Amino acid sequence: MRKAYSNKAVIASLVAPGLIFFFFAILVPICLSVYYGFTDFSGLGAASFIGLDNYKFMLHDKDFWISLRNSGLLAIGFVCIQHPLAIIAAVIIDNMQGKAEGFFRCVYFLPNVISVAIIAYLWKFIYDPNFGLLNNIVKIFGGEGHINWLGSGTAIWSVLIVLIWHGFGWGMLIYYTGIKNIDPVLYEAAAIDGADKKKRFLLITLPLMKPVIQVNVTLAVISALKQMETVYLLTNGGPGNETQFMANHLYKQAFSAFKYGYGNSISVVFVIICILATQVLNMIFREKEA
Amino acid sequence: MKVENKKLTVGSLLGWFVLIAFAVIQIFPLVWLVDFSLASNNEMFTNGLLIIPKVFRFDNYVTAFTDGHFLQYFRNSLLINVLAVVIVLFISIITAFACTRMHWKLSGLVKTIILLGMMIPIHATLLPNYMIYDKLHLTDTIWALLIPYVAFSLPQGLFLTSSFMESIPKELEEAALIDGCGIYRIIAIIITPLMKSSMSTVAIMTFLNNWNEFMMASTYLSSPKWKTLPFSVLEFTGMYASNYSVQFAVMALTAAPMVVIYILLNKHITKGVAMGAVKG
Repeated sequence: MRKAYSNKAVIASLVAPGLIFFFFAILVPICLSVYYGFTDFSGLGAASFIGLDNYKFMLHDKDFWISLRNSGLLAIGFVCIQHPLAIIAAVIIDNMQGKAEGFFRCVYFLPNVISVAIIAYLWKFIYDPNFGLLNNIVKIFGGEGHINWLGSGTAIWSVLIVLIWHGFGWGMLIYYTGIKNIDPVLYEAAAIDGADKKKRFLLITLPLMKPVIQVNVTLAVISALKQMETVYLLTNGGPGNETQFMANHLYKQAFSAFKYGYGNSISVVFVIICILATQVLNMIFREKEA
Repeated sequence: MKVENKKLTVGSLLGWFVLIAFAVIQIFPLVWLVDFSLASNNEMFTNGLLIIPKVFRFDNYVTAFTDGHFLQYFRNSLLINVLAVVIVLFISIITAFACTRMHWKLSGLVKTIILLGMMIPIHATLLPNYMIYDKLHLTDTIWALLIPYVAFSLPQGLFLTSSFMESIPKELEEAALIDGCGIYRIIAIIITPLMKSSMSTVAIMTFLNNWNEFMMASTYLSSPKWKTLPFSVLEFTGMYASNYSVQFAVMALTAAPMVVIYILLNKHITKGVAMGAVKG
């Protein structure tokens, strides 16, 4: 029996497909990025090796740092606005005990199943200065209502609102599942001991949700770093580069500015930042647990 | 006791208010979208929030349906996504079996390597993959989408299936082994049927992630042959730049399949996402 379980040929045949996909679609491309990151390749013609010049250039590339700052802003928006609201909604739904639970969960999650392409264009219309929904709301409250929300100054906040809005249901769902997994006996015991709702939330729900919150915060930071598609369609980083994000920046550098080599060097830094962020957050949370 | 009751009703009223406010914020943009898609282009410049169209312009949808290549792109989306789901499930299960059940030195390492994929941002591979597919003449083929879709869904698939597989007792398959059943047959006949719940989670996550993907699609594809549903929207904005109500219609139309699927399978999908996200 052990023999059947350690048959090398069988093992190889079972893991080969997965490894082939990994090598061909993830590892080889990243190695290629590392290579092109050291060149001044424009996309056409010959590439010549320029050492660390791309990385030196990146240090002074204002748009690169704006991208990082925007990811930071988005992460803060997720953690300080979206998640608290999601937790509040999850707790209230849980308190309703049944009835409208399915309805609200369904409604909150609905934007998540709609393609980012549609969401981005829908919000472009909502922000439209001529017939947009948001300006019409402003008019109801007595404003002029011809604000160009995606213009300079307000654009980054408009983008953040779309992203916070879009992911709200996802966060809510995960927090709700976390709350459901808490043993109801604990609440009953606390109620007998005379703890009111506020106390029960602060002393039971929040501490027991800690692992869920930690996972969610990690995911939020990573997805803030990875953000590309909504921004690509909504503003493509503009006006100027005010709403630039890293992935969009590297894409633009390679395909619009014809700095394919430089784009790849951003790719490499992008991968490193994502891996580092994941590891650092995991480390912080693990230490706190211990 | 009376005081407690009164407090409860005030509290729950406030609760209802908050929930409904959130619901309105989440759903109103979509209502607005459908409403405007049924109006004529001239009616859009109003001061009100919603329009009551004089005539319901269903012809907006007819235009969207035909000029948006709806059927063709929908078929492409469906085919590519179903194939991706099937391949991800198949590879996840065989890899998970090899890594959790079989005895070999590198099992942990191989699993870690594939799981590493979870940390790699998809968009970092856009530039080099474009180059590779271009060299191999894979651009504009179904492979240009299938390969990355499968590769980036695999880590999560492997993670979920292998953690579930560890909880399946070994006795069943050991009995089958003694009866002379081979490894491949054990996976197909004994393990796979037991994995249904985690398989549906993997299928839902894979489908949701890839159905809405368009960044890779718009980088690797240029002819309409394999373009997916989001392209109905992307191409339309250029074609009907000034006819906004038709643009609203194409957006509502392309959103519809997923919304219908979601409403029908709502419970399974939310359960699947919750399971996938909490464990992943």
